[in-house]
Amino acid sequence: MPTSSGGRLGSRLKRSQRLAGYLFVLPTLLLFLAFVGWPIVQTIYLSLSRWSGFGTKTFIGVDNYTRMAGDPVAHRALLVTLVFTAATTILQTVVGMVVAVLVNMVWRKVGIVVRTILFIPGIVSFVVTGVLWKLIYDPNVGTLNQILGSIGLESLQHTWLADRATVLPALIAVAVWGGVGMNMLIFFAGIQGIDPGLYEAAEVDGAGPFQRFFNITVPQLRVVTGIVVSLGLLNGFKVFDIIYVMTAGGPNHASEVFGTYLYNLAFGSTSGALPQLGYASAFSVVVMVLCILAVVVQMAITRRGER
Amino acid sequence: MTATEAAPSTQAVRATPTTQRRPTGRRRRLPFAKTFVTFLLLPLCALMVFPFVWLLLTSLRDRNTVFSGPFFPHSFTGSAYANAWTSIGFPLHFWNSLWITTATVVGVTIFATLSGYAFAKLDFPFKNTLYLLLLTTLMMPATALIIPLYLELKSLGLLNTQVGLLVLYVSGSAPFSMFLMRAFFSTLPDELIEAARVDGSGELSIFARVVLPLARPGVATVVIFQFLQTWNEFLMANTVLQDTDKLPLQPVLFTLTGQYSTDWPTLTAGLVLSIIPVVVVYVRMQNQFVAGMTLGAVK
Repeated sequence: MPTSSGGRLGSRLKRSQRLAGYLFVLPTLLLFLAFVGWPIVQTIYLSLSRWSGFGTKTFIGVDNYTRMAGDPVAHRALLVTLVFTAATTILQTVVGMVVAVLVNMVWRKVGIVVRTILFIPGIVSFVVTGVLWKLIYDPNVGTLNQILGSIGLESLQHTWLADRATVLPALIAVAVWGGVGMNMLIFFAGIQGIDPGLYEAAEVDGAGPFQRFFNITVPQLRVVTGIVVSLGLLNGFKVFDIIYVMTAGGPNHASEVFGTYLYNLAFGSTSGALPQLGYASAFSVVVMVLCILAVVVQMAITRRGER
Repeated sequence: MTATEAAPSTQAVRATPTTQRRPTGRRRRLPFAKTFVTFLLLPLCALMVFPFVWLLLTSLRDRNTVFSGPFFPHSFTGSAYANAWTSIGFPLHFWNSLWITTATVVGVTIFATLSGYAFAKLDFPFKNTLYLLLLTTLMMPATALIIPLYLELKSLGLLNTQVGLLVLYVSGSAPFSMFLMRAFFSTLPDELIEAARVDGSGELSIFARVVLPLARPGVATVVIFQFLQTWNEFLMANTVLQDTDKLPLQPVLFTLTGQYSTDWPTLTAGLVLSIIPVVVVYVRMQNQFVAGMTLGAVK
């Protein structure tokens, strides 16, 4: 921004502005370089090494990545991470958008109450959410099976988190329960930005509520949807807390994701095995790449919306 | 729940003023649509709230009736809270969470307002490059960096220290809050800063005396958002700290599941106690929080 006052005063102002700019940014930048930038470089370097944390580090090139290709647990983790991410992203986006539209239709005060209630699961930690739902899912005395039993649906009772068939849907349901409120709020904010004239014109033309939803609301929310989808992908690829707390990746890797697998390889030596920092870091790099892709997807959607 | 009972009465009072002028045929249909949608939203709200109601009721039960008694217990007891308070050392872990969270919020707020202001209003070479570089933090999840961070803290002698955890929290969170603050500062008029500059004020005093007082709503958002984030963080706290007496609440709650697997009242009482601060912060400062979250997401 060029200053209007010319000459010597202007250049002195510019110089002091430049100095201040650097000084103001410096603390954040130093922390970034030390505890984000450097670790990124380190993760990549570690992923090309074999190291238990003790003794010497051996550079082994891409061996960790080729090992990944032949590791059945890694295959399972890839599949579960992708399924979990896709399911939570789609459900949270669709439900979040529909509910935001519905909340926008009711009386203002009712809407405020509903928004507050729907967002409550989003403010508690995943540890609390995980422990709470673990109790609800408990096969013997958990509330879910008790409710199913009391309304005569014993046939639907399951050992939810210990059954390979139900563990993933059970985890996805909890993640959606916790995350949908946030998306609803973002969509709600987006809906407030839509020109009401569009709806009035459509109504004059005789468009019904569904036509208005699909022909006005959905296309107008394209950029917001891009953000919500991107956040969903990011949260899915990096998922850790909720799964670690509820199943720790079990039973027998049925709910293993990249996050839980790499954490166990690096820190979870319950069997007395040495930590595999190099192999674990290779999964960190994969998570990193996936998260960067999620942001690239969002930028692509946003740019297409602007065109 | 109050929403439902309020609905019919507000309907009568509000129908006329809130509906815009429409063809007469439609005016009568609108309250019906609103009532219908309200009833659609009810089961959803129930589903969201039910686990918390169950949590609260379980924590207030007598230990003998947890697995057998009716959904609404006949009698309530607070003994599980007393037990959770003393046997798991609740006050200590609560204090750990509180001071680490507070220190993180203060650190992040200082760094994020300074850098956010610089990126929004000051002019210096490589500004955009530096900004984009810092923003890469937003796509770096803790799972991707936890191994080198663990090793780094170890070599700095900060492993198993609360200061080490604090440093990771501040450095990992400052860029997002910076991003929020930059969006906020951009909305302030340039003329204000220009005028102060021409009056001979230094850049730091412009920031502290002119800009920061105007940025209160933005700062409030950062504070609330950061408070909830840090209070709820689990992965780093669980990895960096090893001594039980240094742990904040989340890792402790996690270990409780094993220890109190059959003592659900104590377990749930611990969960309820840990939620109280975030509920208080959320309820009291909900508007700023929602504004900030949506600003961050939409910008």
